[in-house]
Amino acid sequence: MLCQFCNKRDATIHFTNVIGKNVEKIHICTICAEEKGFDHLKKSNIEKGDLLAGLMNLAAETSKGTSVSKRCPGCGRTYAAFRKSGKLGCSQCYDVFRVRLDQVLSSIHGDTKHKGKIPARQGAIVDLSRRITELQEELKKVIELEEYEQAAVIRDEIKMLRDKNESEGRPDV
Amino acid sequence: MSDLSVLLKSPAEWLSSEGEESEIVLSFRVRLARNLDNRPFSHIAEPEVLASISSEIKEAVLDTKKMGEALIFDMDKISESDRILLSERCLISDEMVRNYSNRSLAVMKGEKLSVMINEEDHLRIQSFESGLSVGKTFERICELDDELDEHLAFAFSNRLGYLTACTTNVGTGLRVSAMVHLPGLVHNNDIRRVIDGLRHVRLTVRGSYGEGSEVLGNFFQISNSITLGLSEADTVANIESHIRKVIEFEKKARDSLLREARTLLEDKIWRSYGILKSARLVTSKEAMSLISAIRLGIGLGIINDIRLSDLNEILIMIQPMHLQRLYDKSMNPEERDSIRADHFRALLNRN
Ligand SMILES: [Zn+2]
Ligand SMILES: [Zn+2]
Repeated sequence: MLCQFCNKRDATIHFTNVIGKNVEKIHICTICAEEKGFDHLKKSNIEKGDLLAGLMNLAAETSKGTSVSKRCPGCGRTYAAFRKSGKLGCSQCYDVFRVRLDQVLSSIHGDTKHKGKIPARQGAIVDLSRRITELQEELKKVIELEEYEQAAVIRDEIKMLRDKNESEGRPDV
Repeated sequence: MSDLSVLLKSPAEWLSSEGEESEIVLSFRVRLARNLDNRPFSHIAEPEVLASISSEIKEAVLDTKKMGEALIFDMDKISESDRILLSERCLISDEMVRNYSNRSLAVMKGEKLSVMINEEDHLRIQSFESGLSVGKTFERICELDDELDEHLAFAFSNRLGYLTACTTNVGTGLRVSAMVHLPGLVHNNDIRRVIDGLRHVRLTVRGSYGEGSEVLGNFFQISNSITLGLSEADTVANIESHIRKVIEFEKKARDSLLREARTLLEDKIWRSYGILKSARLVTSKEAMSLISAIRLGIGLGIINDIRLSDLNEILIMIQPMHLQRLYDKSMNPEERDSIRADHFRALLNRN
């Protein structure tokens, strides 16, 4: 079955969306799911009808390609609700509305990347992710300078850090 | 729950005027916004959820070394006038006075360290000091944050840092602010340029300053507005350096006032002194302007028989609810003006 959003890729996620009295079946590919902000569905086991009234009004957003009525699965709120109140509903909102929030954040702060403190319990993961980002930037530079030997060393280090991360069962960085 | 009178017995320690540059900087505040992971933000959370968040945070706060002795006040178990009292002491927000259900305050005696629970964010940690006491204020709050981090799982993203209900706080969740007194810059009309300059470097300046009108007491609050893309240490260092610049400008303005219009200035200060020493009715607006003149007089060494700390304390004490509480009755505005005047006379005639 093809994904009903892009009509190109295979639908790998299937669930039932309940909006008021309307029940609609949703068949979606992982890429579109991610785009529409419910990539968390990828891994979880979804029971039919289990998915929450008002999870998101997909029908409305597909036709126009806009997603004004997309709802955060964490709190059920829309981006429009954020525009109105200036407040997000939960921490998941930051992922769900990422694209548009990035514009907001960038206009407020001139930046979209945290450079401050890291809670101790998350420290290891974030340190690793920062280190990898640094190395990637370094890699770009040395390639531009055509220092290929150095580039190979950096590339191996990135790979080593990624493997280490995976072997410790942490999420992707 | 703790007894509010324990708190009210003595003035907040951060009014002491012991900090650096305290003739110009009244107080320095650092605030951190934090939320618990996997919970809705306060403004949409159901009462049961708010209650469970609140008890989890209270328990964690009381488990820390820094705030193990904290006093705890549940906003829905105290009266509205008590809440107003706490907001007049800068311990809770006006929002929390109105929206109090399942909201709480944890505060250390002396009021230098406190946590608002279930305000816009689940935790709003505040650290206060007198004067430009940057290091002390910042270190105290960091230590508490580290301790709380051992007990609570904060909402955090690798990319965006600490996640907050409002996009203006995301990242460090850090708001650093100083309350500064700038009568010199207001008087020589340079204040507008200074404010524009501060805004240009993306600092926020508050004060009810409008074209052609005097700001209430010439007090301004300067704070950072950026919380994303800048580390805590850089944020603090940045605002400190700008505040030091403002202090330098204010001192220069005061010097030139003294040089060019000494008699005029002295007249204004002594007249204010005279009014406060003998007036029978003082509105809160007039009080601010008189306090401003006397504060300047103390800073310039013209007035020597009033302590800055007393003047700081009176700023808090002459607010409506504090006056009412002191005299243990509700009053109409005119009665308050009369009590306020009594208060000033008592202070000025003490020495
Ligand atoms: Zn698709
Ligand atoms: Zn949400």
